[in-house]
Amino acid sequence: MLYREAGQFKSTYLADSAIFPLRQDRIAMAVLLAIAFIVVPLTATPYLFSAILIPTLILALAAIGLNILTGYAGQLSLGSAAFMAVGAFASFNFILRVPGIPILVAFVGGGLCAAAIGIVFGLPSLRIRGFYLAVATLAAQFFIIWFLTKVGWVTNYNSSGVITAQPIVVFGYRFDAPAPKYLLVLSIVALMALAAKNMTRGNLGRKWMAIRDMDVAAEVIGIPQMKTKLLAFAVSSFYCGVAGALFAYAYLGTVEPEAYNLDLSFRILFMVIIGGAGTILGSFLGSAFIVLTPIVLNVTVGWLDASGLHVPASAGSNLEVIVFGVLIIFFLIVEPLGIARLWSIGKEKLRLWPFPH
Amino acid sequence: MQFFFEVLIGGLLSGVMYSLVALGFVLIYKASGVFNFAQGTMVFFAALTFVGLTEHGLSFWMALPATLVVMVLLGLAIERAVLRPLVNQPQISLFMATIGLSFLLEGLAQIVWGTSVRGLDIGVADEPIGWIADRFGLNISKFDLVAALIAAVLVAALAFFFSRTRIGRALRAVADDHQAALAVGIPLQQIWGIVWAVAGAVALVAGLLWGARNGVQFALTFVALKALPVLMLGGLESVPGAIVGGLIIGASEKLAEVYLGPMVGGGIEGWFPYVLALVVLLFRPEGLFGEKIIRRV
Amino acid sequence: MTAARSIGGTILEVDAVSLAFGGVKALTEVSFDVREHEIRAIIGPNGAGKSSMLNVINGVYRPQRGTITFRGVPRHGMNPYDAASSGIARTFQNIALFKGMSVLDNIMTGRNLRMKASFLEQAIWIGRARREELDNRARVEAIIDFLEIQHIRRTPVGRLAYGLQKRVELARALAAEPALLLLDEPMAGMNVEEKQDMCRFILDVNAEFGTTIVLIEHDMGVVMDICDRIVVLDYGRKIGDGAADEIRGNQAVIDAYLGVAH
Repeated sequence: MLYREAGQFKSTYLADSAIFPLRQDRIAMAVLLAIAFIVVPLTATPYLFSAILIPTLILALAAIGLNILTGYAGQLSLGSAAFMAVGAFASFNFILRVPGIPILVAFVGGGLCAAAIGIVFGLPSLRIRGFYLAVATLAAQFFIIWFLTKVGWVTNYNSSGVITAQPIVVFGYRFDAPAPKYLLVLSIVALMALAAKNMTRGNLGRKWMAIRDMDVAAEVIGIPQMKTKLLAFAVSSFYCGVAGALFAYAYLGTVEPEAYNLDLSFRILFMVIIGGAGTILGSFLGSAFIVLTPIVLNVTVGWLDASGLHVPASAGSNLEVIVFGVLIIFFLIVEPLGIARLWSIGKEKLRLWPFPH
Repeated sequence: MQFFFEVLIGGLLSGVMYSLVALGFVLIYKASGVFNFAQGTMVFFAALTFVGLTEHGLSFWMALPATLVVMVLLGLAIERAVLRPLVNQPQISLFMATIGLSFLLEGLAQIVWGTSVRGLDIGVADEPIGWIADRFGLNISKFDLVAALIAAVLVAALAFFFSRTRIGRALRAVADDHQAALAVGIPLQQIWGIVWAVAGAVALVAGLLWGARNGVQFALTFVALKALPVLMLGGLESVPGAIVGGLIIGASEKLAEVYLGPMVGGGIEGWFPYVLALVVLLFRPEGLFGEKIIRRV
Repeated sequence: MTAARSIGGTILEVDAVSLAFGGVKALTEVSFDVREHEIRAIIGPNGAGKSSMLNVINGVYRPQRGTITFRGVPRHGMNPYDAASSGIARTFQNIALFKGMSVLDNIMTGRNLRMKASFLEQAIWIGRARREELDNRARVEAIIDFLEIQHIRRTPVGRLAYGLQKRVELARALAAEPALLLLDEPMAGMNVEEKQDMCRFILDVNAEFGTTIVLIEHDMGVVMDICDRIVVLDYGRKIGDGAADEIRGNQAVIDAYLGVAH
């Protein structure tokens, strides 16, 4: 009843190509942004910022990166965390060695370095495909982390292996408290998500999807395989690199290779699958899901513990792992297109409500 | 020179053990087109179950068939609950499902049997073989040799099974095209059940051998990660490829660590097999023995 | 039943092309020409090498011997990208549409060679990127109107019936505004009504845009009706070349189709 498009006609192609064609969607988005930018900073607790909002946003950015590579361009990658690490360490080195560099520029620099490495590790994709490519991306994951651990210059010869991240200072303002950090991360992620949305629904997105669906046919209609695939690797790694830098500077507070292990790569992959491959919304939904599930499980185990059922300590983390596994299988069986698809099915039903059909 | 041979042979023998794990992958991929990421966890699960059963009082020779039964049942359960609902989905969905499966099995095994590290004894000691040491001056472990023999027998049996028997042919048909296989009356579910059960048994053998060598602990799941470069090198659906790949990876990994490692600070075992396999793939995109994928438009 | 239009000079020349895959000889010393604005058919029994011939023209296969000369530029072997940029478009026997995208998006991919905006411009959606997208959308909509597929423009292609998919594939090929259009069995699997529609579209394309068309087709009625000239292949060799009536009476062609001991 509320969610109808009756009366909303598009008379230009410009209007038809809007991100949110329905007026109701535009209003909802505006409200959401208002809540995110204004209401949340005023009302949320530091815990909410540090443990939920900030990691969700940062990992959503990485998930957007992986979505571009795997969801849109069809190149399966198991090494996203490694590119995040490149971004983090490159940013660290820029700040360390280029005096007076604005931190945002350092983040962009980190992203660009990650993009360059992404292109290098993307070159095999021109010959190798499918599972062979997925395993090749593991080569990137293991090699890069080893490199960042062993090569002294990268870590500034730090002996403990854990580097404290420099504080974020933009135009003299120090971002120490959770709320300002959250706003900074939110702004960066929102802008980059918009850019990603524009890229993926335009010609570039179509080229990527063409390569994904049938690359031989794509070549025949004039889509250059090499350039398009490498661009996908570059853009995807850029996003992962910036996300990695934010992960170190705005979340962990340290720059360490171990934080970017295979486990993180898998978590980002799960975000993409469960959230919905090939959608930008799915990256956010998936990220929220993966960040919240362990917290919910922890709370549940704690509650069970408190109410008398004694649950051994190790069971908690094992339970989390089991639940993840089950949920992934469940989603793949029930809705392979992820939560984003469930969301759009929900919207379709809402369009008809309260009528049955 | 002697040292070189020792490292080489040690590497080859450990490579055979990698092949064992890779075999499980190949089996399932050949038969259903599924890249079973959970194979390593199945190895861990089998080893842990065996050790858990022996701790509860069962003797070696009773725990063995009991664990075998568990693994077979596990294989059938996986087919029923995970694969059957995903028939005809694209390969990548099945692959992701096996990733989920690996997480599930890992957590399950540890909740049931606990997380402490255990030793596993299969009766063969990890000590140098006397007469070889005396004659040639080489230290070759008895254990490694026995493991290699067991693996060799298993591999030969499986190779025969796939190429000569009727069921083997049916398996290859299923791997190619689920729907077409169903259309000619191949009982898909039964076949898959058989395959996963056999893969479970292979995982058990691998689990016992690896567990005896490294101890039964969570790190065993990472052995599977080592088997992946073996698959890349050898080809996903080739049994001989799994053997040759395993030998190459095993030998080169050890040799690289010993001879190249000190030059770059050590620890290159983690990525060297992957990079080596990657380089080979650049020249042969489907592995040394893999089926060439021909795409017609 | 061809509309009156002037057939021009040679636009495509195939000269002694030989193609083999290992021991299998797909094409042996095939030569023929295609004149501008005409509709040429390649016919022959199954396995004669017709699709391979199209693949060679289009750059997907490289012949071991022989040359293709398109618009006066000889090339020993084109690659698909060059073929597309020089004005050759095609459809495929087993529909090569991008199943994950909508009809509109699929047809828009046909315009990609004309869209030059860089990825940064697209990310910000200003100026050139926006203009190009909207201009090309307008052209694509014209094609959608022409082929009468407005009602399915947002449907994911994988969900369409076979006949409609073929039409979408034709639309995608047309979107490139090609000089030469290669159609590989455009009527396969269609019923009589759909075939008539498709014939109408092909003739309209040829009449309105002057596109030269080379098509592979098994339905002799269609071939005789709409084509100007025909090339007949059998076992990779050319056994006939000429107008419909000549081919109809050619003994070698009849033998090939009816099956005579070679």
